[in-house]
Amino acid sequence: MIHLKVTNLQKRFGGNHVLKGVNFEINGPELIGLIGPNGAGKTTMTNILDGAIKPTSGTVYLGEKRIDQLQPFEVARAGLGRTFQVTRSFRRMTVLENLYVPALAMGNTHGQAELRDKAMGVLEFLTIDHLRNEYAQALSGGQQKLLELGRLLMLNPDVIILDEPFAGVHPRLMEVIYAYIQRVNDEGKAIIIISHQMDSIFSLSQRLLVLNFGDLIADGPPEDVKNDPAVIEAYLGAEEGEEETA
Amino acid sequence: MRKQIPNIAGGIFLILLLIFPLTYGAADYDYIMHILITGFFYAILAASWSMLSGYAGQFSFGHMGFMAIGAYTTGLFCHYLYLSPEPTQLCAEMPFFGQWLVVVNPIGVTSTTLTQDCLRQALDAWGGTVDVQPMPVLLGIVLGTLMGAVAGFLVGMLVLRLRAAYLALFTLGFSEILKATISAEIDITRGQAGLELPPLYPNGVNLFGTYFEPTDKLPPYYTMLALLLACLAILGWLARSKFGLFVRALREDQDAAAALGVNTTRYKVLVFTITCAMAAAAGAVQGHYVQIITPNMLFLLQMSLVVAMAVIGGIENFVAAAIGAIILQVLLELLRNSFVIGGVEVDMTIWRLVFFGLLLMITLRFFRNGLIAPIIGYFRREGVAEETVAKRASTVTGPGGGPHRTEAPE
Repeated sequence: MIHLKVTNLQKRFGGNHVLKGVNFEINGPELIGLIGPNGAGKTTMTNILDGAIKPTSGTVYLGEKRIDQLQPFEVARAGLGRTFQVTRSFRRMTVLENLYVPALAMGNTHGQAELRDKAMGVLEFLTIDHLRNEYAQALSGGQQKLLELGRLLMLNPDVIILDEPFAGVHPRLMEVIYAYIQRVNDEGKAIIIISHQMDSIFSLSQRLLVLNFGDLIADGPPEDVKNDPAVIEAYLGAEEGEEETA
Repeated sequence: MRKQIPNIAGGIFLILLLIFPLTYGAADYDYIMHILITGFFYAILAASWSMLSGYAGQFSFGHMGFMAIGAYTTGLFCHYLYLSPEPTQLCAEMPFFGQWLVVVNPIGVTSTTLTQDCLRQALDAWGGTVDVQPMPVLLGIVLGTLMGAVAGFLVGMLVLRLRAAYLALFTLGFSEILKATISAEIDITRGQAGLELPPLYPNGVNLFGTYFEPTDKLPPYYTMLALLLACLAILGWLARSKFGLFVRALREDQDAAAALGVNTTRYKVLVFTITCAMAAAAGAVQGHYVQIITPNMLFLLQMSLVVAMAVIGGIENFVAAAIGAIILQVLLELLRNSFVIGGVEVDMTIWRLVFFGLLLMITLRFFRNGLIAPIIGYFRREGVAEETVAKRASTVTGPGGGPHRTEAPE
């Protein structure tokens, strides 16, 4: 049973109080959207969850294990994987090699042929199997996003954070990403999606977290969050206002 | 079949190197052999630096420093430590497995007279009745290699958080400090006067039924070639293992690699330790081959030469870097021969460096991965593009994301 517990998470960069005591829990294979205006603290929270930066105070537990003081590779091995806002594929390595890295880092016990079969299965699902021997730098931006998602399938974590998975992606590839999210969620993994694409977030998520200037101002089903006055004022309201003005 | 062409060419090149000393008989035999031995020495440095910088992306400019650590470790070991059946009563000494381990007192450059150190005085007093043994050269080389590994480990730990220019400057600083220390500690290292080392085979060696003197070129030729092949074999094994995969991931994106479960700290330190040990081993063997070492081996120009050799060969392929080093070493020597064009003599002792610089600039501008690595890559990756196109034609993506595979349309 997946259990991620974030308690009173705070982060300061000098005088900038980026996270002001965030609390939430994930129980089971939830599909969660994390939204908030620019500067809300979404990326900082992601970086803390994945071990890239340490919180000023507060704790993060994944199951029974405290992960907020671990190194990123230890967090990954503990069962939390992520993608990056700007795609970070290993550009001068082939597509297959990109997939082998997490599998071997996790201590792949299978044979070479089995590992290759598994990687090929992932690539086929992501519709980029024809590119398996190409260097990642030869892939389009959207294909590189798919490759990042493929690496997470090979890592096989319990909790996945997808940072802007739909940004700059062709609609056809977006369908592949939707299918990916559904498949991974069906496999019993919890997913946190960070995105500015409201349509995608509202249609996919079972639960929404809304950050605003470091505070978690809403946490609930998308319909409830959509109608939350604090959210409307801080985030959605601004958009609606802009639309009205336009 | 074509993918095997680099292997076949490599095999032929290796056979040529193996039989060369046995078949070449010109008057300049010693000179040519010296060029090749030095070429192998640089090939070890270029190949190991290629693993460190080309594969792992750790741009170190301290590689010659680790080479010098290997050379000076074995140099000091062989220069100052001896085994004696009797205590000298003059030197620092301690019992050692039934004998006495004698530590000769450092007397700096005045030791060129070979009469002022405590051991010489003891030997004079004994009048040739006591047989004092020097330390085994092989043990010195092993110690030098280990010391290089330890230094590489420590520097690797220190530069964990440094990247790009900061890493380059740190390692350059390390090398310069080492050079200054060796130069300053004249009493121990003999500074610019140089530390003398015993030859690789102090008592000569029997090879192929022939006795070779300590000064003969053939034994060090095969020794350095064997060390080069051993280093290439280790690097090849590492490159094909998950180590190679992880250090390349480290080069591409350290944060992303860590987020995928790679212990970047471990692999960064490991790659420093292994490659620095190789540089130290090369330095130790080279030191015994040339029989004198000075701090000049740490000049930035020497490091630049190794970098240039790796870059021209192909920085992301250690075999290409090694081949590049051998070819360039030979070329640089051949280009020493001045010639006359239209009555004007071109002094190649100077112009060869211009040629070298031009070659480096052209490589950097037009061949980012060197001149040899792309040739190997051409054969190794043959058919990849065609395969991609063919597979793409046979795949039609169905709506909803899941792939729907069909035969290619007529």
